[in-house]
Amino acid sequence: MVYLGLIALTTLVANGATRLRLVAVAFVGVAAVASLIVSASASTPQVAVTAAAGLASAGILFVAARDYSYGEDPGWRLWLGTFTAAIVTPIAYASFRTITGETATLPLFQDGSGIIAEVSGVWLLSSGVAVMLTARSAVRASLAALLLVTGVQLLTRLVPEQHLAITLAVAWLELVVALAGAFLIINERAVLDG
Amino acid sequence: MIVAAPAFLLALAAIASFGLRKRLAVVAWLSLAALFVAFVLVSVTPTDTTARLFDLDLRATALGRLAGLFVLLISAALLIDVYLGEPAYNFFPTALAVGSVALAVLVVSSPVVIVALVVAGLLFPVGSFTYQVHRNRSVEAAVRHFSFVVLGGCLGLGALALAASLPKDQPANTLVLLVVLLFVAFALMLAAIPFHTHAALLAGEAPAAALALYFGVLVPITFIAFAEVLAGSGLLPAIVQVAKVQDLLLGIGLTSAFGGALLAAGANDLRRLVVYAVISNLGSALVGIATLSGPGIIGGIAIALVTGACATQQLLAAGTLERRAAGGRPNVTHAPLAAGAFIAGGIAMIGAPPLVSFPGHFFVDLIAYSVSGTAGSILVAAAVLLLIAQLRAGVRLFAGSPEGWRIEPRPVAGILGGIIFLSLLVGGITPDAFLQPIAAFADEFLKALRPL
Repeated sequence: MVYLGLIALTTLVANGATRLRLVAVAFVGVAAVASLIVSASASTPQVAVTAAAGLASAGILFVAARDYSYGEDPGWRLWLGTFTAAIVTPIAYASFRTITGETATLPLFQDGSGIIAEVSGVWLLSSGVAVMLTARSAVRASLAALLLVTGVQLLTRLVPEQHLAITLAVAWLELVVALAGAFLIINERAVLDG
Repeated sequence: MIVAAPAFLLALAAIASFGLRKRLAVVAWLSLAALFVAFVLVSVTPTDTTARLFDLDLRATALGRLAGLFVLLISAALLIDVYLGEPAYNFFPTALAVGSVALAVLVVSSPVVIVALVVAGLLFPVGSFTYQVHRNRSVEAAVRHFSFVVLGGCLGLGALALAASLPKDQPANTLVLLVVLLFVAFALMLAAIPFHTHAALLAGEAPAAALALYFGVLVPITFIAFAEVLAGSGLLPAIVQVAKVQDLLLGIGLTSAFGGALLAAGANDLRRLVVYAVISNLGSALVGIATLSGPGIIGGIAIALVTGACATQQLLAAGTLERRAAGGRPNVTHAPLAAGAFIAGGIAMIGAPPLVSFPGHFFVDLIAYSVSGTAGSILVAAAVLLLIAQLRAGVRLFAGSPEGWRIEPRPVAGILGGIIFLSLLVGGITPDAFLQPIAAFADEFLKALRPL
C-alpha cells in the first residue's frame, strides 16, 4: 500500500514539474519506487539493472536540459493525467483480477502476489498515455515515454518466464527511449532558440 | 551461438561506426563489410538451429533467414545510396543498429522481447529523421514518430505482459480487451490508418534515405513481428473464438488499404505517394493475417516484404529526383534513370505480374473474397486506386519532350532501382524460393491457432 502511494506521489511530482531538470530528478523517485516494487519478485542483479536504467535515463534527461530554465508548464494537463490514471487503474484492476478466485491482500510493503506491481504498472501506463496525448513538446513526450516504459517494467514482472531476458530488454529499451527523447529535446530547443 | 552472431556483429559494427562516423569512406566500407559478413552468417546458419541466451530461447527459422537476408540487402542498398549519392554520416550507425535489431527480432522467441526490440528499432532512425532543423518541420515529425512508437510499443508490451500473467480460462471480455490493445499497439507502430499522421508528416520532412530505412526495413520487420507475436502470445485461440476481434483486425486492414490508396491517389509529391502506397499495402497484408488462413498469412507476409523492397526503390528514386530538381517539380529530365526506377517500383508496388509482388496480392485478394465479398471488393478498389496514383505520378514525371533527357552524372538510385526490379522479376519467375519459407511460418501460425 505504501508503494502505491509513493508511486502516485512521485508520478504527480514528475508530471507537475515545469522544468526539465526537476522532471529528471522527480523521475529518479519514480524509478526508485518501481525498483522497490520489483525487488519483491526479482533477484538482486535484476533489481540493480532496473534501477540503473532508471537512474541513467533520468541522468540523460538532466544533461539534455543544459540549464535549469528549460521545460514545459503542464498547466491543466497535470490534472488530466492524474485523473485519467485514477479512473483507468481501478477499471483495469477489476478487468484483470476478476476471476482469479483469490482474496486480494494489500500488505503495507511486500508484494508477493504481484498486485502492487500490476496496479502501479497500470497507473504509470495510464498516466504516461495521458501525458503523451497532451504533450506539446519533446520535454513532456520524453517524460511520458519514460513513465510508460517504467509501467511496462512493472507489468513484465508478472510474466512467469524469461525474467532476466525481459529485464535486460526493457532496461535497454528505457535507455534508447531516454536517448531518443534527449536528442529530440536538444533539437527542439535549437529550433526554438533560432 | 551462431544464431545470434549476425545480430551481435551488426551491433558491434554500429558502435564502431558511431565512433568513426565523421570519416565517411571508412565508415561506409566498414558498414558494408559488416553487412556482408552478417549476410554470409545468416545464409550458412541451418534452419531450426536453436540456442539459449540468458534465459531466452533463440531459433533460426526459414522465414527468419528469408527476412534477414532481405533486411541485409536493403540495408546495403541504402548505405551505398547514402555513401555515393547523399552523404549523411549519422546514417551508417543508425542503419547498422536497425539491421542488428531486425535480425534479433527474427530469432527471438519471447513475444515481450520481440516487441521491446521492435520499439527500440523504430526509435533508432529518430536521429536520421531530423536534419536542417531550422528550415523544415523534421523535429516535429520526429517527435510525433517518437510519441506514436513509444505509445504503441508500451501498450503492446503491457497487453502481452498481462496476457502472459493471467490464469487460464479467462472471460472473453478480458481477452478481447487485451487483443484490442495489441492490435491498436501494432496499428500505431505500423502507421495504419487512422494512426498514420506521424508517417504523413515524416513523408514530407524526413530525408528520403531515412524514410526508406523506416518503410523499407523497419515496417516489414514490424509486420513480421506482429505475426510472430500473435503466434507466440497464446492469444490466437481466443481471437478465433471471438469473431468481433477478427472483424476488428479486418476493419483496420481494410480501412488502411482503401484509405491509403485514396490518399496516394491524391498525393501531390512522390514521397507522399510512396508512403501512402506502403500504408495501403500494409492494410492488405493485415487483411491477409485477419483471415487467419494459410493463403492469407502467406500473402500478407509476402506483401509486407515486397512492399519494403518497392518502397526502398521508389523512395531512393524520389530523393534523387527531388535533389536534382533543386526545389522545382521533379521531372524525368533531371534524372532519367531514377525516374525509370520510380516507375518500375510503382509497377511492383501495385502487385502486377510477373513480379514477385503478384502472388501475395493474389492470395490476399482471393481469400478476402472468400471471407466476404465486400472485403474482396474493397481490396480490388484499393488496387485500382493505387494503379491510378502510380500512373498519375508517372505521367507528371514524364511530362515534356524526351530531347532534354540526359543520364544523371552519378545514377546510384537508378542502378540500385534496376537491381531491385530485376530481383523482383527473378523472384516472380521462381516464386517457390520466396514463398516456401513464408509457408513454413504459416504452418506454425495455424498450429498455434488450433492447439491440440
